[in-house]
Amino acid sequence: MTTVMDLSNALAGAVERVSGWMFAVHGRPRVPSTGVQWRTGLVVTANHTVEHDREVTLTGHDGRSFAASVAGRDPSLDIAVLRAVVDGVSAADVADDGDVRVGHLVMALGAGPRASAGIVSALDVGRGRHAAGDLLAVDLTLYPGFSGGPLVDVRGRVIGITTSGASRHLQCAIRATAVTRLVEADHRRRDRLDRWACDHRAGGSRGGASARSGRRGGHDDHSSRRRAAGPSGDRR
Amino acid sequence: MSALLAVEEPIPHLARIADQLRQVTVEIRSQGGSGVGAGILWAPDLVVTNAHVARGSCVGVGLADERWIEAHLVVADRRADLALFRIPRCGVAAALGDSDTLRVGALVVALGHPLGLLRTLTAGVVHALGPARPGGRRFIHADVRLAPGNSGGPLADTAGQVVGMNTMIAGGLALAIPINDVGRFVASATASTT
Repeated sequence: MTTVMDLSNALAGAVERVSGWMFAVHGRPRVPSTGVQWRTGLVVTANHTVEHDREVTLTGHDGRSFAASVAGRDPSLDIAVLRAVVDGVSAADVADDGDVRVGHLVMALGAGPRASAGIVSALDVGRGRHAAGDLLAVDLTLYPGFSGGPLVDVRGRVIGITTSGASRHLQCAIRATAVTRLVEADHRRRDRLDRWACDHRAGGSRGGASARSGRRGGHDDHSSRRRAAGPSGDRR
Repeated sequence: MSALLAVEEPIPHLARIADQLRQVTVEIRSQGGSGVGAGILWAPDLVVTNAHVARGSCVGVGLADERWIEAHLVVADRRADLALFRIPRCGVAAALGDSDTLRVGALVVALGHPLGLLRTLTAGVVHALGPARPGGRRFIHADVRLAPGNSGGPLADTAGQVVGMNTMIAGGLALAIPINDVGRFVASATASTT
């Protein structure tokens, strides 16, 4: 009898829990997007919501503002990693997205907090140069400003980052594993990511991208070679 | 989580909530109007709905048992988009919740007559709480699919208690007047007329 009320309370509790890790990201005119502190000092958002040559500020759930800089971008996955010193905001509880199954109840959240609920509709959404397994398809509504926000399970753990920019036809989320790979790459390849940012400030040419991919070719894994084509912006 | 493992439990529970809500959701037809709106049985002799649904001082009210009764306007507030009607006593009244304790993410259901489809249930979660535009009045924003015909109908929590009155659709979201605001309207309306 109370089970559905327990579920309702669990969902509301999940929103309260996750909203502590979320920011409104002011990186474009008008509607701010959403970001999640993935690791201390590193905030993940949707790449298409952070314009080039623009100062980025974050607003926390308590209304405090923080300055942020772009640490790296992956346009092919539509992820931007921002660096910011955010006191008193803890890093997200990121779940193992390997447990996610088609039909699981999930919520997409936006800064505010705002919530939208639905189910996982497909795993392994392969789209050309994406490796199967980087994206999830979800059956829910992504409202304006939700891009870059967390996709959370009923326990309030982050299983991905939602973005309307990843696909024109599907509501998609970048799986947490793929995001973590990018964020950890930021630690290891901090200078290289800075170069990505510099390239973008300079306009990011196709030639620059191929030069980078050549530089990476020797030691990088398959997925980062795929992504190396990203900064040229030929996806869309 | 246990709530998800016991999948068979929530479904009859939701069905029970839907049955309760059907009893307290009425059809509203205004004279000369072609569309149907919804209303909530606030008390055995009172129906509350949106002012934009019920035009005129006398409207037809369709009960869940398919009886049609005449309702007479007590008071309408076009600004608040609320109207209160008196009906012959019919024996049922909605269970009211507390909209001030509603949380973002909580499951909610809406009952109404979307596109004339009578007493249809849709479900979703609370999307946000607050004004639709800066400085505006407070609404419950719900990620619930509504259509014309839902206006004036109940938005209820998982206990089956009415927490809002579905009033408009904006950007795909349901906007509902918090039931505590409706309660204040009804209290002042009945106080001024008795």
